[in-house]
Formats: sequence, C-alpha cells, structure tokens
Amino acid sequence: MNGSLSTPTRVLAIVGAAFVVGTVHALVGAPVSLKSATLSNPDAEVKGGERRTPNADTPADAPDPVVEDQLDETEEVVDPQQKIDDMLANLDDPEYRRNQLLDAPVPEGTMTLRRSHELWEQGAYFIDARHHDQYDAGHIEYALRLTSGEFDTDFEYANWVMGQIPQDGTVVIYCVGGDCDASKNVAARLEQFGYTDLRIMGAGYNEWEMAQLPKAFGPEGSEP
Amino acid sequence: MSTKKDGHGALVWVESILIALPVRLALGGLIGLAGVSKLQGVQSFAEAIKGFRIVDAEEHGHLIISAAYTIPYVELIAALLVVLGLWTRAAAAALGLLLLGFIGALVRVILDESVSADCSCFGDIELFCEAGVGWCQVGRNAILLLGVGYLLWRKGGLVSIDAWCSGRSAQAGDPEWSVERSEP
Repeated sequence: MNGSLSTPTRVLAIVGAAFVVGTVHALVGAPVSLKSATLSNPDAEVKGGERRTPNADTPADAPDPVVEDQLDETEEVVDPQQKIDDMLANLDDPEYRRNQLLDAPVPEGTMTLRRSHELWEQGAYFIDARHHDQYDAGHIEYALRLTSGEFDTDFEYANWVMGQIPQDGTVVIYCVGGDCDASKNVAARLEQFGYTDLRIMGAGYNEWEMAQLPKAFGPEGSEP
Repeated sequence: MSTKKDGHGALVWVESILIALPVRLALGGLIGLAGVSKLQGVQSFAEAIKGFRIVDAEEHGHLIISAAYTIPYVELIAALLVVLGLWTRAAAAALGLLLLGFIGALVRVILDESVSADCSCFGDIELFCEAGVGWCQVGRNAILLLGVGYLLWRKGGLVSIDAWCSGRSAQAGDPEWSVERSEP
C-alpha cells in the first residue's frame, strides 16, 4: 500500500478523493444556496403584533428617540464644513450623540436605528442572529434568538422560533452590526420558509444599547 | 554494537507509543470532529466561508459551495489516515496545507476590521475559542500545526499501518523500508 507514490501525489489523491466524495454529497444532499433574501422596503408599514413600550431596564431619563425630524431634510442645505463644526461643538451633548447614532448611515437596503426602533414600537418581530452568549449578555427587548446554523444543527429550536412569528409578519433581524453577515443569513433561511416581510437593522446591538433603547438580558427569548 | 541497536529500537518504540500515537489520535480526532461538525451544517459552513470575503460570493458562489463540500471531506479523510497511520506524511501534509490556509484566512479577517465573521472551524461547537474570529483560533490552529510538523518529521511511528506495511516490505527485500525504523 506504500507502493511508490510520492508524498505530493498522495496529497493530491487525498484532495481528489475528498472532492469526488464532496461532489457526490452535493448531488444527493440538500442544496446549498448563497442567495441573499429579498428585503422589504424599510419604510413600509409594519405587519406585526401589538404596540410596545419599553420595560423597566430602559433608563427612565432616556429621551424619546423619535424627537427630531429625519436629518435628510437638512442635509441638502448644510455645508459639510458646518456639519463638522457642529459635530465638534456638540460632542459633549449626549442627546446630540444619541441622535447621531439613531441616524447613522447604514448599508443600502437596511434600516437605521431610528427606523428600527419605530418598527419595534409598532410591534415588529425582532430576531437576534448573534450567538447564545452575546444574546444572554443583552439583547433587544422581546427579540428571539436564532442563528443560521440552528436551521442545520437544531431545527427543532428554529422551528419553535418560526412558530412564534406569522409568515406575513414584519421580521427585523440584527446582529453585531457593521458588515456582519449573520442577519442576512438568517433572512435567507427565513425566506426559504415562506417569510415575506424581512428587514435588516443596519446598525448592531451595541449601537442600540448605546442609544439607550429597550433591552433585556438572559435567555428568555431562546427557550422553547 | 547490537546492544546499541537494541537500545535505539526500544527508544523508537517508546517514541511511537508515547508521542507519535497520542499526537496522531489527538490531531486526527480533532480534525475529524471539525470535519463531521462542518458536514452537519454545510449551508452554515458555506455562509462562514462567504463571510470571510476571500472570494466574491456573487461572482464565484460555486467556488464557495465546492469548498464547503470538499474541505470537510479533506479533513475527514486525512484525519482517518492520520489515526490509522496510513500515508501519514501525506495526510499530515494535506492537513498542514489546510491549517495554513485557515490561519491565513483568519489573520486576514482579524486585520480587516470591516469584516465580522464566524470561524465555523468546528461547525457550531465552540472548542476552546469563541465562535467569532479571533487570535484564539489562530493559536489553536498553530498548536495543531505543531502536531502536523511532528508527523511530517517523524511519520506515524511503529504503531501504524505504514510501519506494518514497511515491515512486510522489508521482509520482501525492499531496502527503502528495511532501514527506515531500525537505523538512526
């Protein structure tokens, strides 16, 4: 069996055998798709549950996040240098910093923190696509935890989460923010199961927390 | 002269049982576990590869899917060979190349702060490290590389199919294997 094959040839044989077996697996197994979910218009009306109010964890002195008109209206007329000067002058103002967070730019097709909070108040279903420990350490209030991997490794749990959300309900998915793919992956999985109104919060949980928006702790949204 | 030779033979046996075999079992076991856990969620693994942003998923999605099906089987086959001690050096080389590739990809993601990806190294299992990519995974892979390096250097030891086959080759007069384990 040790014949005259050289080590590089054997390495190639191992990789080739793996490729052949993997190809057969791909042909006979469940298809893998990297297609992104079709996201709903962030400004569309919410199809969800009842209006919500924050719980006791939210600081009593936290200002109402929807206190200013969208900055888009003023952006056209404000000189960029003026904006920078304003920003520097207001760096110590917590309310100013909070509004900056609420309206911070997000990737195309996703929602700002302000819009996400509006949907939260209107009763949209929130899904936390981060990991268990991150969810337990703090999450958006009423959010259910669900990762893409759980559709493969713990479908019973994924099914339980889907059982909590009507297929035509508005579902907002978030992860750590920035360029994280976790929320997009969960959206793609939910779309495969017939969910039609999927939206992604462009900002992450950290921004939500920094803006003093309603949050909760522990695993209550992750237990069947 | 023969005493010196016997002493060396005993040392080779000790090394084979106390070092080579445990290294093979540990390395093969861990890599095999990684392969099995990835195969339990090929879709998740494909998403993890996509998250590393090494290739454009829109244009080259088929490459990502091929890799998601092939890499776990490379791990499984190589791990099995390492445990059995068959084609040990080649299997270790395959694992070494894989681990070097993983380390390169991990370092790239760590250094690029705009990318937030999950390792998915052991599927959904968080073995010694958290799921998110970090230096912990690089360290873990570097430790596995030490095992790979040992096997590349010393092969699988006497408690292996390679050694058994080499013994048969020696009996059949194959000079290559007849000296390999008995001479320094």
